[in-house]
Amino acid sequence: MSLTIAVTAEANNGKRVSITGSLDSNTAPELQQTIDQEINDTVNTVIIDFKDLDFLSSAGLRVIFKAKKLVDGNSGKFILVNLQPQIKKVFEIIKALDGMNVFKDQDEMDEYLTAMQNKVIEGE
Amino acid sequence: MNTAADHKQSITVKSDISDSAKVSDFLIEYIKSHQIDDETRDDLRLVTEETFVNISSYAFPDDISHTVTIEVTRDERDIHITFTDVGIAFNPLTYCEKNIGCTDHCEGGMGIHLIKSLTDRQEYKRIGQQNVFTVTKHYT
Repeated sequence: MSLTIAVTAEANNGKRVSITGSLDSNTAPELQQTIDQEINDTVNTVIIDFKDLDFLSSAGLRVIFKAKKLVDGNSGKFILVNLQPQIKKVFEIIKALDGMNVFKDQDEMDEYLTAMQNKVIEGE
Repeated sequence: MNTAADHKQSITVKSDISDSAKVSDFLIEYIKSHQIDDETRDDLRLVTEETFVNISSYAFPDDISHTVTIEVTRDERDIHITFTDVGIAFNPLTYCEKNIGCTDHCEGGMGIHLIKSLTDRQEYKRIGQQNVFTVTKHYT
C-alpha cells in the first residue's frame, strides 16, 4: 500500500497537494514531510485533493489536522476536495468535517474560491 | 453447510507497524475470496489497521519485535477478526482513555473510536499470557 504525493501551484499563492493511494500509519510520515517542506506563511491557500485516495486511517487524519492548524495559524485557507465516499465516512465518524472547508468536486471549490477572490477585490 | 471453522484463515506477522500492510493484504484477499461487499471490506480494512497499530504501539513496551496473529472467520451473517498477542495485558478498548487520558482526537483514541463505530461487537479477553481481541461485523 503506497502513497503518491503531487504538489502543484494554484492561483494567489496557493498550493494543491494531491494524494493517491493509501494514507496510513506507514505512509503518513511522507505526507507530513511534504507539508513541512511545502507549506509556510507565504502560502495563502492549501488544497488537499483526495480524488485518488482510497484509504485513510487515523495516522493520516492526524497529519491533515496538523496541516490545518498550521494553515489556520498563518491565516490561510485550508480546503479539502474530492473526498470519495469511504474517505468522507472516516471524517464523518470522528465528526471532523465541522469547521473544515470541504467541496465535493473542482467546480464547487472553484465557485467558492472565485467568490472569496471577488470579496477581496471588492474590499480593496 | 459450511461452518465458521471451514472459513477460518490466519496470518502471523511481526508486531511492527510496518507489517500492517501484510495484515491489510491478507484481509482484503479473504474478503475478496468470500465475495463480501466492498463497504464491509473498506470498514474492516480500517478497523484492522487501527487495531494492529494500537497493539504494535502499546502492547510491547520492551521494544523487542514480537508476533501478532490475526485470524478471520465468518458465518452466514457475521465476519469475526481476532487479534492474539503475548504482550502485556492490553485492552485496546480502554487503554487510551485510562493510560493516556485522551479522547477521540488524540493518538490512539481516534483509532478506538473508529473501531467501535465500524464494528457491531468488540470483545477483549486476557487468556493466560495472551491478549485476545475480537471484533465482529455483519456483512451483506
